[in-house]
Amino acid sequence: MTTDNSGDVRLSGISKTYGSFTAVHPLDLTVPQGSFFALLGASGCGKTTTLRMIAGLEEPSSGTVHLGEQDVTHLPPYKRPVNTVFQSYALFPHLDIFENVAFGLRRRGVKSVKKQVEEMLELVQLGEQARKKPHQLSGGQQQRVAVARALINHPKVLLLDEPLGALDLKLRRQMQLELKRIQTEVGITFVHVTHDQEEAMTMADTVAVMNAGRVEQLGAPTDLYENPQTTFVANFLGTSNLIEAEVDSRSGEDVVLRAGGGKLTLPRARCSAQATTGGKVLVGVRPEKISLTHADDAGEIPDGRNRITGRIADSSFIGVSTQYVIDSPVCPEFEVYAQNIDRDPRLVPGTEVVLHWNPAHTFGLDAAQDIDAGVGTVGEEAA
Amino acid sequence: MSTITRAEAPELTPAPETKPPRRRGRWTPYWLLLPGILWLVVFFALPMLYQASTSVQTGSLEEGYKVTWHFATYWDALSQYWPQFVRSVLYAASATILCLLLGYPLAYLIAFRAGRWRNLIMILVIAPFFTSFLIRTLAWKTILADGGPVVGALNALHVLDLTNWLGWTAGDRVLATPLAVVCGLTYNFLPFMILPLYTSLERIDPRLHEAAGDLYAQPFTTFRKVTFPLSMPGVVSGTLLTFIPAAGDYVNADLLGSTDTRMVGNVIQTQFLRILDYPTAAALSFILMAAILLMVTLYIRKSGTEDLV
Repeated sequence: MTTDNSGDVRLSGISKTYGSFTAVHPLDLTVPQGSFFALLGASGCGKTTTLRMIAGLEEPSSGTVHLGEQDVTHLPPYKRPVNTVFQSYALFPHLDIFENVAFGLRRRGVKSVKKQVEEMLELVQLGEQARKKPHQLSGGQQQRVAVARALINHPKVLLLDEPLGALDLKLRRQMQLELKRIQTEVGITFVHVTHDQEEAMTMADTVAVMNAGRVEQLGAPTDLYENPQTTFVANFLGTSNLIEAEVDSRSGEDVVLRAGGGKLTLPRARCSAQATTGGKVLVGVRPEKISLTHADDAGEIPDGRNRITGRIADSSFIGVSTQYVIDSPVCPEFEVYAQNIDRDPRLVPGTEVVLHWNPAHTFGLDAAQDIDAGVGTVGEEAA
Repeated sequence: MSTITRAEAPELTPAPETKPPRRRGRWTPYWLLLPGILWLVVFFALPMLYQASTSVQTGSLEEGYKVTWHFATYWDALSQYWPQFVRSVLYAASATILCLLLGYPLAYLIAFRAGRWRNLIMILVIAPFFTSFLIRTLAWKTILADGGPVVGALNALHVLDLTNWLGWTAGDRVLATPLAVVCGLTYNFLPFMILPLYTSLERIDPRLHEAAGDLYAQPFTTFRKVTFPLSMPGVVSGTLLTFIPAAGDYVNADLLGSTDTRMVGNVIQTQFLRILDYPTAAALSFILMAAILLMVTLYIRKSGTEDLV
């Protein structure tokens, strides 16, 4: 038995330049058959251009695109076994829902489309709407028509260009699960472009984070979140506290760092930068990994944990957790998310506290990068 | 039944009568409509009524005309001038088809391919309007003049042999033939075709082309199944804006044609201004109007129900 790889997408060295502007730098990427792959990044990072090169809507300036064994680099879109769910759907306004869904079948000369179209409309729960025009449907229904119109052709790869961008939050959550269900059901390779990190993480098996025309990091969602390799990924995916630190020494599998007079331990395996003694690295830790203890109880903190002292600058109670902003000598705005299990009533703004966490949750990044890369690009879609 | 509703009515309006807060505001739309309505009454409705009455009058210039409800004028006018009616429809239809064939590719180019040249081409399309209609038509007279370069070239390419055979031209002439009149009509009404076509093509989301391509439609199929159906509003309004004035036109037939190419507009003009037979002229005008209304209604019915969004 051979494994079917006809739905693999292989990009080798593809790039796209418009005049002097490089939208996508030479890029190598392999999306395995049957996977749900997300291209994640802020607007203008080249993710949509990459998708359009797979679809054949843009000609790459260099490199090749393979689908399985077939080189499709120079094939026009209508000859490629891929289909796209367009941003804002691009449904044909003059055709009803049935004809929209049947469009691809009819173009390939399929004679009896009725049964297939009806089945597909059932799959997306739109059987009743078959004779309506697109403008008579709600946004969520139009979105499902767009998916049905693409999926009915049984493409090797389904490309989704911000397919949920036009929907409200609740509907988006619902459609995320719906798309994931459909993908599992049909087993087709999905390549999904989004700027919503939560969407990418919930839906995709593999996420490629793109920034300024390059893939910053590629991996499973948990891997990207727990082990960011660049400051952009650390800041763009969720929130990270980054501290500039100096390498003090090495002890076994760990690197010992100095930051603001204190010492921090970082597992060598979790440091993506060269940790030479005397050199600088950026130390990162996620806000929810940190515990807060009142300065008076500092003695109760177990040994072997990384510690930082500071004063609570601000706190906001948001139900499941409380978010604190800590003013500490190493970082003026240290963020801590504490679960509301045993709230210490003394932890109010102005209180001196000790922040401590398991060194295994620390990660190290190359200090040569912009420490604020990717900050603020996350909230873009909230507007 | 009525007693019940009457009995309830007083109960429904027990509230003390309060004046509507902004009484003057209610009349604003009518005041705004007034100039337009006055204009229509003075320059459209009254002349129409006047012409309608003229068409059923009898008499002569010397004795004066009287309304005698002489509907036979209509029948006489139609039986005498039906060839000019048929010719008008044929010429106008030919010019409309030519305008569509010439205008559609140009409108398509401006809407989708012109890029930064878009505005320049648009100006070139509209530019002829800066010169009088008459002068432009007279210029065509020079262009198509006997023995001129255009006629010479057409002759050399044996195009005239073909058009002579089709009956569009005669001998070595283009001027004073049906071809010249149809060309003049086409030229003069082309912008009226291009502008609505451009407007409806330009409104088409280019992503629909991409979507069609993505769904296995080759470029021509995309045009046939997506672009053209979506441009139908422009095709309908463009053809109407070309056909209606072209059918009533007399300038092109007058300047570029001959007595054999007289259209109904020429007949009406002659009846009104030279023969001074006002009833016949008025009757001809009404027949033309009725014929156009009928054709346009049928056309819109046919193209408007299914294809338009």
